[in-house]
Amino acid sequence: MPKIEVNKNAFFNIFGKNLSQNELVTILEGAKAELDDWNDKEGVLKIELNDTNRPDLWSTAGLARQLKLLQGRDDRKYTFFSRQNDFKDHQGREVQVNAGLKNIRPYVAAFAVKGKPVSEELLKDTIQTQEKLCWNYGQKRKSIAMGVYRANMIKFPVHYKAVNPDTTSFTPLGLDSELTLGQILKDHPKGQEFGWILKDVPKFPFLEDAEGGVLSFPPIINSASIGALEVGDDYIFVEMTGLDMDSLLLATSIAACDFADFGYEILPVKIVYPYDTPYGREIVTPYYFQQPVSMELDYGRKLLGENLSNEDLLAALKTAGNNVKLDSRKVILTPSEYRNDFLHPVDVVEEVMIGRGMSSFEAMVPKDFTVGRLSPVELFSRKVRGIMIGLGFQEMIFNYLGSSKDFIDKMNIENKDFVHIMNPMTENYAVVRKSVLPNLLASESVSANAVYPHKIFEIGKVACLDKNENYGALTSNYCSFLLADKDSGFNDVNSLVSALFFYLSKDYSLKEKDDPRLIKGRTAEIYYKDKLCGIMGEIHPVVLDNWGIGMPCSCVELNLDILLEN
Amino acid sequence: MELVSLIKGLHPLEVKVLLNFDGTKAINRDSLTEKLNFNTGQSNQAMSWLVSKELIEEKERATRIKYELTDTGRDYQKTGTPEERILGLIKEKGPHSLPEMAEALGLENKDIGSAFGSMSKSGVLQMNEEKKAVIKSGELSAEMKLLRKLLNQLETSSFDEAEFEQAEKEIIASNSKKRGSAKGIFKIIENEIVTYALTHKAAQVKSKMKDMGITGDEIGLLSPEIIHNQEWKKKGFRSYNINVPPSRVLLGRKNPYVAFLEEVKDKLVSMGFQEFDGPLTESEFWNSDALFMPQFHAARDIHDVFYLKEPTHAKEIEQPYLDNVAKAHENGWNTGSRGWGYQFDRDFTRRMILRSQGTVLSAKALTYAEVPGKYFGIERCFRYDSVDATHAADFYQTEGIVLGNDVNLRTLLGLLKIFAEQVAGAKEVKYVPAYFPFTEPSVEVHIKHDVLGWFELGGSGIFRPEVTEPLGIKVPVLAWGLGIDRMALMSLGLNDIRDLFTNDIEQVRLRRRS
Repeated sequence: MPKIEVNKNAFFNIFGKNLSQNELVTILEGAKAELDDWNDKEGVLKIELNDTNRPDLWSTAGLARQLKLLQGRDDRKYTFFSRQNDFKDHQGREVQVNAGLKNIRPYVAAFAVKGKPVSEELLKDTIQTQEKLCWNYGQKRKSIAMGVYRANMIKFPVHYKAVNPDTTSFTPLGLDSELTLGQILKDHPKGQEFGWILKDVPKFPFLEDAEGGVLSFPPIINSASIGALEVGDDYIFVEMTGLDMDSLLLATSIAACDFADFGYEILPVKIVYPYDTPYGREIVTPYYFQQPVSMELDYGRKLLGENLSNEDLLAALKTAGNNVKLDSRKVILTPSEYRNDFLHPVDVVEEVMIGRGMSSFEAMVPKDFTVGRLSPVELFSRKVRGIMIGLGFQEMIFNYLGSSKDFIDKMNIENKDFVHIMNPMTENYAVVRKSVLPNLLASESVSANAVYPHKIFEIGKVACLDKNENYGALTSNYCSFLLADKDSGFNDVNSLVSALFFYLSKDYSLKEKDDPRLIKGRTAEIYYKDKLCGIMGEIHPVVLDNWGIGMPCSCVELNLDILLEN
Repeated sequence: MELVSLIKGLHPLEVKVLLNFDGTKAINRDSLTEKLNFNTGQSNQAMSWLVSKELIEEKERATRIKYELTDTGRDYQKTGTPEERILGLIKEKGPHSLPEMAEALGLENKDIGSAFGSMSKSGVLQMNEEKKAVIKSGELSAEMKLLRKLLNQLETSSFDEAEFEQAEKEIIASNSKKRGSAKGIFKIIENEIVTYALTHKAAQVKSKMKDMGITGDEIGLLSPEIIHNQEWKKKGFRSYNINVPPSRVLLGRKNPYVAFLEEVKDKLVSMGFQEFDGPLTESEFWNSDALFMPQFHAARDIHDVFYLKEPTHAKEIEQPYLDNVAKAHENGWNTGSRGWGYQFDRDFTRRMILRSQGTVLSAKALTYAEVPGKYFGIERCFRYDSVDATHAADFYQTEGIVLGNDVNLRTLLGLLKIFAEQVAGAKEVKYVPAYFPFTEPSVEVHIKHDVLGWFELGGSGIFRPEVTEPLGIKVPVLAWGLGIDRMALMSLGLNDIRDLFTNDIEQVRLRRRS
């Protein structure tokens, strides 16, 4: 979930009025946002945005705009958008794309900003927008990277080129000498952070102006000259490069609307491609590309469970900030310039919910009758649990993840058929358990101070690699128990198994077995209907030693799924 | 009153002492044995209890010496001293050399040597020319005879030093272990004898006891014999002190967290939900793709889910679900959606992971669900998270779905209200718009809890048609998830999520639910 910091004054300025903390918390709900912190001293609000499909809300201007709309105040005026067959005048601002980028980073979009000097708060907010858009929405700059420049220094047309990384060099932001693009990936912190995006490509993207002035090396780093925007600059060039035209155009539109809301003039830029794009070879950006979406009014009423009039439905959609018109039994919604999150008519339904406000919908008890039922394994587990408790055992509940040291090494067994995690966060949680016994022994190893006897059990799941399974591993439900006491051993657990099976009304048979975890000659496999369903025995002192346990332990492990089969 | 409760707490041994001794009469081990037939242990216990209750007080202290036989002594008493056995041997079997004697009697040469030495000195035996011992007087010395008398006298019990003559004492001393004799015959035991007498308080207690009719003969533990022989008809029962701290009982017990989860399950079943279950390992397909989360979604990074080292991929994904879901992602299929508009990766979708969200099982349930139908599961999930007080490596999620023509936003709110009231015991409920990639519209339910205040109980929504239709469901499906761990922690009096799965047996034994 993106979290943003907004300047309180700037935020309320765009919103149009001041709010108390409680008022803000309440109206933020309409934007699926939460107030994390209200800092009067620094004049900063920290806000978490929950809708990962609404990148337009991840900025001061974007969030204030949405909240203002929900309050019924709409003064949006974005006249700078070009449309198919309706390009705005780009006044000579042009970017020419080089054919070599087609398979590397094919798309670029841009606009310029003019009107008043850049303030410190705007600069800060612009950097944040850049970060959030490119990190959260742009897959960490992979699909969208954004750059801002001192437009006064640029001689148009700008060239978006694919260049040789070892023969092209410039001075990147933050340094005072030239490096080749290859060196930047190796030596510059941004190169190290984002270099993975350019793995395996023969040439690197590069932006320079008509006179060879370097703008940037996207998606890595700006130049130290044209790319070093400063407070006070009053003419800015903004570009974005990426892999997917729609998300690139949307991100560009979002940034442009934000600048416009801060009171700047947005100036279009023409992009000329040598190859086809979804919107032609010539396109002027910011560009409106969204398609209208329609919703059957009855579909909306049914999904909301509320028999709203046509007028109410349209009014709600307008309150949420949408352009709508009625078309017999449908409503046609034309998405706002900065939104592209309408995939399906259900997305329009939710706009009605937001526009009307949650509190206008009254809770209604569902009427459909259904029979409730626990799963067979839960019912059987409860039966087993009841008997184990009757036998005097304390139930435990353990983590399913653990270390290979605990699950394998200490148990004196081979690393066979364990489900290992490829990307563990720590060695402590790197393997899924295949048996509950290590958990029971771990418990015993930290409980020597608890009054004996120790009788503990767990009913839970284990997983084991299994080549016959489509998913390669089998999850099973186990009941395992451990008895730790002086003068206790095989005969005791043998009696317990006998009692357990008696009260489960099931027969079983035993077979002698060698198991490296257990003492030879005091280990038995348990069979149910000729199927192996468990093991019991005395824990071998080698294993007890590994766990640092000084008390004799005997144990039983049963596969409940096999007992449940019939 | 105080006296009565003191008297009720008296042990029968104490009662007997109090009833059988008067005034300044000496109370010590001897007098108790003599008069009441107490053994040493009983005497010591009775006296120490009475002292602590200030019913007797110390009058004098004396050291007493007692004699008894060692193991060697008892052996000599039975089979004879070496001197007696040598004499018997010569008398019966004629002359023997010293080594012959040692062999015949099974004694060591040096013992034979020293015994013969003293017998030869006192003229019992003498050595002939062949270096064999023969009879001289044939009579054991007076000392030896005295030793035999002492052996017989001490055979069964110990005796006080005062009971012996000076000569006897000397023999005992020279044959005692205490003197360093390697094979001592006698043990000399030094004991301190403390003598007590009743206190003034005891006199009051005694008179009160008489009033209460206490004899010390009351029945303590009721035995089968007493019931059988009806002895209880003749005797009363001893009153017990009911304020004695009870001893601890270890019992078999359900884990309190499991009990909490069982209760939640039972409540859901009572609302008509069927429980579902599933494997811990999953494919990316079911974990995310089937839920219409685009494969490039930010929450599907390698730093969000655990991948299996082996097998890396499922063999195959069930059809027709794979084709339907792939198309829903690419162009919306025939769900009425435009889809995410990217090339669905059919290799990535087979990637094996550990289940990261319970919603997987809700999606899978759609493939077999009945309409109308309600399903739920409380399932272990795994997340790539640093483990701390609020994050566990594996944890439970509570999830479910409701299918039917009855499903809409208002019944969704109705269901959330029932959850809030029935599962969380909430009185105030608030709904907030929410975002989940797989539901639209989406709603969070917040509740006001008596202890925790306002908090988010769960998330919910109506499954997107891009989720339900590829899995064969035509009716709206309501999906919900409840965050019950906060309630579980509170109910168990914990504030660290890691404690839910503690290894500590004592902690679990003592853990209770409020």
